[in-house]
Amino acid sequence: MAQGAKARAGLRPAPTDEAVRRWAMVVDLDRCTGCQACLVACHAENNIPLAGEKQAAYGRWMHWIIVQRFWEGEYPNVKARFMPLMCQQCGEAPCEPVCPVFATYHNPEGLNAQIYNRCIGTRFCGNACPYKVRTFNWFRPEFPEPLTEQLNPDVTVRSRGIIEKCTFCIQRIRRAELEARAQGRGVADGEVSPACVQTCPPGALVFGDLNDTSSRVSQLAHSRRAFRFLEELGADPAVIYLKGGETDV
Amino acid sequence: MTQRISRRDFLKIAAAGTAAGLSPEVRRIALEPFVRPPEQVLPGQDTWYASTCRQCPAGCGIIVRVINGRARKIEGNPLHPLNHGKLCARGQAGLQLLYNPDRLKNAVRQAGGRGSRQFDPLPWAEALDLLAEKISTLSNPSRLAFWGGLMPDHLYLLTSRWLDAIGAPPPLLFDLHSALEGRSAASRASQLFFDTPELPLYDLARAEVTFSFGANFLETWMSPVSQNHAYGMMRQGQFGGRGFMVQFEPRLSATAASADEWVPLRPGAEGFVALALGRIIVEERLGHVGSHRPHAVLYQDVDVREMAAASEVPVESLSRLARVFADADQAVAIPGGALAGQRNGLASMLAVQALNLLVAQIGRLGGVFLSQPAPSPAMKETAHGDSFERALELIDRMKAGEVDLLLIHGANPRFELPAAAGFAQAAARVPFVVSFSPFVDETAVAADLILPDHSYLESWGYQIPAPSADRPTVSSQQPVVQPLYDTRSTAEVLLALGARFGGKAAEALPWPDEFAFLQESASALQGSSLGAYDAETQAGFWALWRQHGGWWTEKELPREPEVTGIVGQPLPIVAPSFEGEAETYPFHLYPYPSLGLSDGRGANLPWLQEMPDPMTTARWATWVELNPVTAESLGLRDDDVVRVVSPFGELEAPVVVYPGIRPDVVAIPVGQGHTDYGRFAERRGRNPLELVAPVTDPDSGALAWGATRVRLEPTGKKVELARLESLDGAGRESTGGS
Repeated sequence: MAQGAKARAGLRPAPTDEAVRRWAMVVDLDRCTGCQACLVACHAENNIPLAGEKQAAYGRWMHWIIVQRFWEGEYPNVKARFMPLMCQQCGEAPCEPVCPVFATYHNPEGLNAQIYNRCIGTRFCGNACPYKVRTFNWFRPEFPEPLTEQLNPDVTVRSRGIIEKCTFCIQRIRRAELEARAQGRGVADGEVSPACVQTCPPGALVFGDLNDTSSRVSQLAHSRRAFRFLEELGADPAVIYLKGGETDV
Repeated sequence: MTQRISRRDFLKIAAAGTAAGLSPEVRRIALEPFVRPPEQVLPGQDTWYASTCRQCPAGCGIIVRVINGRARKIEGNPLHPLNHGKLCARGQAGLQLLYNPDRLKNAVRQAGGRGSRQFDPLPWAEALDLLAEKISTLSNPSRLAFWGGLMPDHLYLLTSRWLDAIGAPPPLLFDLHSALEGRSAASRASQLFFDTPELPLYDLARAEVTFSFGANFLETWMSPVSQNHAYGMMRQGQFGGRGFMVQFEPRLSATAASADEWVPLRPGAEGFVALALGRIIVEERLGHVGSHRPHAVLYQDVDVREMAAASEVPVESLSRLARVFADADQAVAIPGGALAGQRNGLASMLAVQALNLLVAQIGRLGGVFLSQPAPSPAMKETAHGDSFERALELIDRMKAGEVDLLLIHGANPRFELPAAAGFAQAAARVPFVVSFSPFVDETAVAADLILPDHSYLESWGYQIPAPSADRPTVSSQQPVVQPLYDTRSTAEVLLALGARFGGKAAEALPWPDEFAFLQESASALQGSSLGAYDAETQAGFWALWRQHGGWWTEKELPREPEVTGIVGQPLPIVAPSFEGEAETYPFHLYPYPSLGLSDGRGANLPWLQEMPDPMTTARWATWVELNPVTAESLGLRDDDVVRVVSPFGELEAPVVVYPGIRPDVVAIPVGQGHTDYGRFAERRGRNPLELVAPVTDPDSGALAWGATRVRLEPTGKKVELARLESLDGAGRESTGGS
């Protein structure tokens, strides 16, 4: 493992300011209402194609973020709970070492980046991912005219035959970083919001630098409610969940 | 003389030309961005414009990212006091309305007659001539009817004034979304309880205990973004401890999924539960408000055991919940849309509202306030929506041949009304029908003339949010891009007609165009000492108005309700009644608004079709939710097609075995089943309104959409319902795997 980490470290560029950052997301399950605003916002920001009804019936989807719903108990003492799931941006990502062409790699800010034009569609990464958050473009994406006008010019439209997944809206991170650098300052906490975080009506999603001890994300990560999904796998996810609460009355 | 034009000059000229093209009159109008761009604007750099979302009537503020004249992303307006920079799934999908491939590109006439779908383009001048001729040849202006729906307030004002001036009856505002959220009934209840038609405002964010009676306030009810925001605060906000929330309804909605407790009760028994809770609080002197003596009269006829039996909520539960509610420092009870959908709706809503009175939460933190009305008299005419009873009256007039010209804007009654209400047959008797829909929907297909309005991202306007934010607010709307097609704002059409007729109509609508009207409306707020901003000049104020996306006061301004004399007498106890005999039709039909498609108006947006329903994770389809016991007794499993039969119609759809529903209730989402309305909506799923009895709550006149009984017939067929989750785990975490 240590050797693998070192080998990967060799691929990294020289350390910069970004190297000390670790972008992370906190998902407060006590606030999430399953409203799906994150999912549509993500489609709009990241030019995500649609699966369509026929493919959807096969159990296929292209969403980068989904809201899982779990039932507990039986009628009438039944409860449903929501859990948003997106790429966990693992520190020790199982998807990375399996890619034969380095399309899936670890960037200096701890993000699992996907280089679309390197991807040859082996789908090894998708199989290796324990969170099942990588989607494969089995078909050429279709945007009947003039729906192409809705596309975000900051984000590549992926072609058939490649894997895609949540990037933490890296285009927004880059924009904020460039702006901050041009002004000769660091990126402030809260300055970068992925599309899902920005729109989340109940404020269940928070984004920021985990290595900055004063950021909201790192403070929430120390909450007693904090846990990481499938933590026992040791993938070191950068998504921290805060479990739902109970009120005693 | 030749002059070299610099690149910057060229861009300036190009920008001015772009702006001038926005108004139908030849005049120069500069668009006001949310953030003033730096001097050196570069092509490819984004500009943000503030406007108002029109995907539902809530009136949330939006900012739209525009690059090179194209709208690329919609976000919530961070300055707006209603939605605080947040936006829901439907709001996020607004771009697909603007760039929808099935939009009408110009005015059209149905050449081959209604339903022929042969649409001949018509130049606007001719279209207006035709409409003006139809109006002027009416034997009596009372033979004109205007059916409106989701209409911004400025358009409502213009429409009512225009109709009044020509002597026609006022517009009828009825759409299914409003009926499903019980808007007109809530307004009526507010009138009875607080002596004002303004909707109550529930302070969810600061409530310690929330009892929601059939209010799906985290999905589609009233102002979902604002309420979601408040919910987040209630759970983990700055107001101290975590709140406690109980949802009372026959089916566990996504809102109930977020509650601490779900209390399944018989459809129509929500009021009984509220009455029983009230009776227990009064009788056992619960809580800390001192004497309950003044309110004892409200509950003098209530028998807790009877109420418990009628609602099937055990007395022990009622007694426990009464303590939870009364002991809280701040408790609030919310009468939701599902109450209004029963034939005892108004009585139930009053019973729920009375709980707030009982624990002295009217006008108190974490309790009930009133929505702020329009902050200026110039905007005081706002749309409140009409009851279904009024809609039925108009249908009767149409059937009787008393309507010669029907104008329809922002509603799709042929799809949205119970089929048995007979709108389609009635409209067939109207000699000329005009639709203002930007899409060929079911109603437009049966129209003679379609004069497509702009999409909301190309339109001017304003909206007084109702329910309001925590302060007086106007959301303003401005075009963020040039109109894509040769469509025309309906307000402009009305103004043009006013000018053409002259006389009273021209006097009532004296503005040269929509823009001038809005400028004048906005300037009524200039100089207010309460505003979040002000300017010296009218032009300056108008610029700030558009830049901010509206006007609101700087500080929170709660409006305390005053309770009327209704509380001096016993609360009405009205039993629900249902269409269809219990022996033949053993189940209650429970239609509910789809989170994404709402009442069906979102069905033409592919993002919303692909968006999973939060509870079933189903997409692109209609399904029938059954309790596991009910499903098993009928031998039905997931994906089996079942026939649902009511006395008024029948439909077939696949079953979803749903653990969160009463065994005697059958739930079907509204929204699908379009026969027209574009490629993404058509021929997909079924419309449960085909089953619904066209009956009302006699007290409020609201559509009792939950008062129909049905029976189930297995068909032996099976389809694969497109759902996100695998059926292997049936949505449960398990260690066994499958």
